[in-house]
This record gives sequence, C-alpha cells and structure tokens, in this order.
Amino acid sequence: MELRINNRVYAIPPAWRDETLLATLRELVGLVGAKFGCGVGQCGACTVLLDGEAARSCLWRVADVADREILTVEGLAGADGRLHPVQQAWLDENVPQCGYCQAGQIMSAVALLRETPRPGDADIDAALADNLCRCGTQQRIRRAVHRAAEARS
Amino acid sequence: MKRRTFLGLGAGLSVAFLAGCSLPVIPKRPDPTPEAALGWIRYVDGRYVLSLPRAEIGQNIATALKQVACDELGVGWDEVDLHLPATIDIAHARATVGSDSVKDYALPLAQACATLREAVAAGQTDGVLTAEPRPIGALRAFAAGARHVGKPMPIEQADAIVRGAPVYAADIRRPGMAYGRVLRAPATPEFTSSPAGWNAAAARAQPDFVALVEDPLLRQGESIGLGIVAETPGALDRIADALDIRWRIDGNVDQVEIDERIDIDRRLTKGSLSYDLVDEPVDRDGPWDVDLRLDVPPAAHAPIEPRAAVAEFGDAGLQMWIGSQDIFYVRDVMARRFGLDDEQVAVHGRRVGGAFGGKTICTVELEAAVLARAAARPVKVQWTRDQEYRQGFHRPPSSHRIRARVRDGRIEDWWHGFACSHIIFTNAGLPPWLQRMTDFIGDRGVARGAIPPYRMTQRRIEHDLERLPILTGPWRGLGAGPNVTAIECAMDECARQACMDPVAFRLAHIEDPRLAGVLRRVAATAGWDESRSPPWKGRGVACGIYKEMSYAAVVADVAVDDGAVAVTRLWCAHDCGRVINPDQVRAQCEGNLVWGLGMALTDKLPVADGGVAAASFADAPIPRFDQVPPMEIVLVDNGEPPTGAGETAIVATTGAILNAIRDATGVRPTRLPVTPADLLRSAA
Repeated sequence: MELRINNRVYAIPPAWRDETLLATLRELVGLVGAKFGCGVGQCGACTVLLDGEAARSCLWRVADVADREILTVEGLAGADGRLHPVQQAWLDENVPQCGYCQAGQIMSAVALLRETPRPGDADIDAALADNLCRCGTQQRIRRAVHRAAEARS
Repeated sequence: MKRRTFLGLGAGLSVAFLAGCSLPVIPKRPDPTPEAALGWIRYVDGRYVLSLPRAEIGQNIATALKQVACDELGVGWDEVDLHLPATIDIAHARATVGSDSVKDYALPLAQACATLREAVAAGQTDGVLTAEPRPIGALRAFAAGARHVGKPMPIEQADAIVRGAPVYAADIRRPGMAYGRVLRAPATPEFTSSPAGWNAAAARAQPDFVALVEDPLLRQGESIGLGIVAETPGALDRIADALDIRWRIDGNVDQVEIDERIDIDRRLTKGSLSYDLVDEPVDRDGPWDVDLRLDVPPAAHAPIEPRAAVAEFGDAGLQMWIGSQDIFYVRDVMARRFGLDDEQVAVHGRRVGGAFGGKTICTVELEAAVLARAAARPVKVQWTRDQEYRQGFHRPPSSHRIRARVRDGRIEDWWHGFACSHIIFTNAGLPPWLQRMTDFIGDRGVARGAIPPYRMTQRRIEHDLERLPILTGPWRGLGAGPNVTAIECAMDECARQACMDPVAFRLAHIEDPRLAGVLRRVAATAGWDESRSPPWKGRGVACGIYKEMSYAAVVADVAVDDGAVAVTRLWCAHDCGRVINPDQVRAQCEGNLVWGLGMALTDKLPVADGGVAAASFADAPIPRFDQVPPMEIVLVDNGEPPTGAGETAIVATTGAILNAIRDATGVRPTRLPVTPADLLRSAA
C-alpha cells in the first residue's frame, strides 16, 4: 500500500494500515506538523487537506485514504523553501503563541482561501469554528487570513 | 559520559555568577558551582548561544530574552542562536510560573551579557568568566535607543511552527521507539484504585503488542495504573480493549458533593473561616447595601497539546524529551525514583504546546520512563484528551460572598468570605498528611488578589481551604482570576448603590496611581463617557493588580439575545512597566482576554461518577473562534522596571464581562459560566 503525501509516494507497511492518518504521518512518515489534540475531530490540530479539502487526519484510517492526494503543512512551502502566502502571513502577523494548533489553523485557512479567495470575518469564523486555540490567537489569525488573501490577489 | 558531554558543552567562553548576586533564589538548591553553572550565554566560534533558562510555553520568552541579550552584547539578531537546554546544560532554573521570567531573568541575563561583551572585546575567547551585578542604569539593554528591546521582533521558532518542523515533545522520534499508555481506573486519583483483573492473554494476542507493565512506580496519587506498550499508537487502543480491565475503586464523588463542600454560605453560618487575610472590625450583623454571591466551578487548562514525554534509557542513564514548565523538577523526580545521579538524567525541555500552570508536576514523564525501562527501548507517551481531564489537576472551584455598606459615595464596610480548594499546595502533588503540614501558613495562591486595591473604612477578608476529592492546583492567575472577578462585581454593585458611574466610583477609591492610570486609559480608549447602551446590549468595566506588580483595566461590550451572551468588543489597558516586546505583551493581553471570556462564558468541568466527568472538548468547551470579539490593547509604559504580563489582564476581563451582562439585562450573574438558562431564570 502507498500514500501520496505532498506529491511524494510513501510505502506503508501492513502494521500501519489500520492506524489513523495522523499517527502514520507523525510516527511512520515523520511529518509531525499535524498534531494530536483530541483524537475525535473536535480541535482541528490535526487538519490536513485530502484532495484539497480540509480533513481531520485523526478520524481517517490510512487504508481509506490510499487513493487520495494528501497535503500537510510541510508540503505548503515551495521546493526552494519559500513560504506559502498563508505561512508568511502567519509570520508577518506574529500569530503563534504556543503554536501547537497553528499547523491545523494554517491548513484550514488554506482550504478556505481555495474556496473563498476574499473571505470576510464571518467566513473566517465559520471556516475555523472547529479549530480550537487555547492561547487566544483568534484575532491574529483573522488578520493573517486577510493578509494572505490580499497577498494572493 | 554525561560528565564529558557536560565539559564539552562548556567549550568556548561562558559566564558564571557570584554567589549572592541577582540570580533567582532556588528552593532546596545549592548555589551553582562554577562547574555546574555553564551559564545562559556563551561565545562559541564567533557566535553567541543563548541557553534559555525558562520554559518556552507560548509566552515567547525566548524572543524577549534574546532581545535583551542582543542589545547588551551589541550584536545583531542573527548573531545569537537560541538553544532550549537540557538539565545537564545549565544550572538549575526554577519552574516557569507566576509571570516572572522577564521580571527576574532579564536583568541577570543582561549582566552576564555585559561581562561577556567586555571580555570578547578584550580578546578573550575561552574560559569561564565571573559576572558581577551591575545596576540597571549601567546596562545597554535597558538604555534609551536600544536596537531590539522595545521593538516587535520576529518570534523565535515561529518559522519552524508554520513549516511543521519538530519543536514539541511529541514530535521526537527515536530509533526503535515504541508507544505507551498507562491505564487507570475511571476515577479521581484521590481515591484508592487499582486494576483488579484483566485478560493478559487477549492483550498479548493483539498484533503489535510489546509489553504489559506492572510497576509500583505507575502510581499517580492513590491510583495504581497498568502500563501497556505497543509498536504503533493505534495498537494501544486495541490492547486496552482486549485487556478488559476490572477496576477496584474506593470512593465516589459527584457535583452535588463538590458544590456542598465549597458552598460559602454553609460555611459562614457556622462562624468564622479559617484564614484571615484582613481582620478589621466590621459589623457582620445588620443590613447590607450590597450582598452578592459568586460561584466558580472547576475548569481545565485545556492546552491543545496533551502532555507528552519520550524516555530512553542507555548506558549513560536516562534521556527524556518533555513539554513541562519545570524540567529540573522532572529531573529530580527521575533521579530519585530510578536511583540515578542528577548527571545521569538528561531532561530536554521542548517548546510546550500550552501549559497555563497545568504542566508543573511530574505525571506523563514518569509513566514514559517506567515503560521505557520495562520495554528496554525508547517509549513515547502522550496523554489522551480524556486523561488530561480525568488525571490532570484543574482550576479549583470557589464560592464567594461579598457584603458591603456604602455611605456618601464611599465604601465603609467590606466583608469577603470565600472557600476554595488548594492551589500552590495542590493535592495533585501533596498527600493529605503533607498538605496538613501547610495548614498553618495557608495557601497564598488561593488568597492571591483577594485584598481589594481600594480605600475602604473597614475590611474583613477571610477564607477556608478544603481538600476536595478532585485534583486542583495552579491555573492561569491562580486565585486572582476568581477573587478579583468577585471583587469587581461587588464594586459595580456598590457604584450602583452610590448612584455613581462605575469608573468614577473606582477612581474615587483607588490608592495606586498606576491602577488609576490604566483605568482612565481604557475608559478613554473605549469612549466610556459617551457610551449609552441600547436595550439588551451592555457595557462593563473592571480593573485589578496582579501580584502587586502589573496592572490591567478592561471594558467589555456584550449583546444578549434570549439569554445567550455574545461579547462584541473588548478593550484593555495594561501596565507591566518597561516593555521588552510590545507585540508579545499585546499577545499575552489578547490571551488573557480570551481566557477571561472563557471564565465568564464557557469554562467548566463536570464532576460525576467518582471524578471529573469530561472525555472531550464537547464535555468541557473552551472559547471558539466566533466567540472571540475584536480586541484593542493599549500598553502603558512609564519606564518602571519590567514585571510580567502572562496572567494580568485575566483578573479584569471576567468582571468587565459580568458587569456588562448586568448592564444589559439587569441580572447580576452569580454562577460561572453564565448560561442562558441561568440568565432567563433570574430575569423572570
């Protein structure tokens, strides 16, 4: 079995096929950007894109995403290391406090901007409603999403 | 081997401190020897290395202290490399708690950097220097025109965070690593509990089973756990199910018992409370102008990162990677429990994915080490969200009664009685016999913020301490959040009694000019004087001082629709003295505002069936995106020495929101979090 992650193909040994996508990304593949926060799809820290749509990687079994295109936060930057506009906006707005939820927030924001290139505050609140942040960075995330939208347009 | 590593790290030029200088005093720790004190700042091969003596928990202290180091060394941002040290790299640094990292560490760091700068300028590149205390006026980092201090510098590790690079404890992967979990009875660790029977054969038959671990060290409080180790994280769930453990649990508790044991009115009818904070002759009989009750429930810290640890035993001893506010405490626990010398335990402090006072004791770390020893390979343990609730400690519940008499616009009598469970002397760390030995001094964490910063003729402030069957301990701001919230609600009612504007009423009672300063500032910023709220909208104000060092005042706007409260805007004025990084002080204020909003509207842990009865965020909600309003922060900096910002604004936020709800609805909330049902019932 293979997984297509960030435009690369990874062979998945049998022992991992019943694992969650999150555990496999983090522990087998070594892409640790997606985080374990709740394990039941309530916090959004594990968010990745499946075929371009935001998905909770803690809820997906590896065997069920074998034919999907998986994008993680590690796959956003260009090959030359240049940051994706959303990542750059996160730096420009000094968003992270502890930072643990931010990879998931960034992936949800990337998915939002693909659907809605110029979102309003209400669009952002709705798209990120299930991405929790305990540090209280929500206001900066809103600003960063607007900044990224402007940078891309 | 450790010793050699240790000396190897010492290569280059480092700074040791004279005994008795301004390094923070560390309880039960010897003064650092020249050998042990490698120092926080070193010059190696033409560059500088800052070994951070504080845990990086999201306050971005690495950024602030690097700003101080750069300016004192007189070097550019890119010439100083950040290093999050292990316990073997630097002298013992105390727990990162109490908003004291800038207050207590910036000055000694600058002193060390000044010494190092002069030595390097004189051509010295090797050896250990002795740092001499210098007055703040002699330090470049705090002088006018500093290049980095006072500026919003880029956040250290932010690039790694947005790229998803490994910076947290759970991001560590070691060769041959397995995954572990310690299964415990579904009950509070205060009750004696243990596994009474289990199906070992079924567990061993599971694919990817590695080990079943019975060990007396797998004890947390009175809970004896059973450890499991597996080749993959998911196998842990299957093995746990197959084990089908029957639990022996000695004890039961529910919400009703918690509420009764903490009920302040029940205690006051029995007479005086155990601890007098202020005991002036207040007539406790007769009529009161204000008589207000406020109950605060237990609440989780709820960092998005459940605590995690990776442990690995080798020839040299034990290595650990953890996300903790106190890596040296974890080192000490490991050394004691495993009979190792301090030098044989290397605890690497990783960036912590939120802590808020909750990652101060040793739990998951000991579990990981016990399992690693049993499995004879590296083991990673990360608690489930369910474990965070059931086995972690939490904000204690508290119950407040405030009574006041107001004459001619001034408060004459003030009587505040409250009951709370322990905070600093937490039952998560102290068994009952040891906690009883602290009874005679009380718990300063519980008392924090309970003495109002207002002129009053007579005050009686007293409280009780009650060890509860659920675990309680430090939570952002400790007692100051609930205590100041109760005070600020009562101040608002007193202002109404006096028919005075709440800001003017407070200003008439405030003694400290810095508190008056932030209050005036937030009132001006929010346009307080012009404000008139339409029906079902309201505006409230509150202010407070944190740890006698930092000041905050908050104005909140709310809209109430069929009992549902939306906070529509928040303003905050904040004074923590000299600001090292204004952007990150603002970030801490924003965090505190959201926490204060959570206190008011969301945070609560249910208790049922023998313990905390929450398994997921659905059972213990925290503020969500659409609940967080626009926030405006004003920093007041008149050049006083720097203090702390991590827990200040929370003391004023909840009160401001509750006062806004009172303004909007005419209902004085008496129980947190405020629910539509409670509001509608009171309004009816």
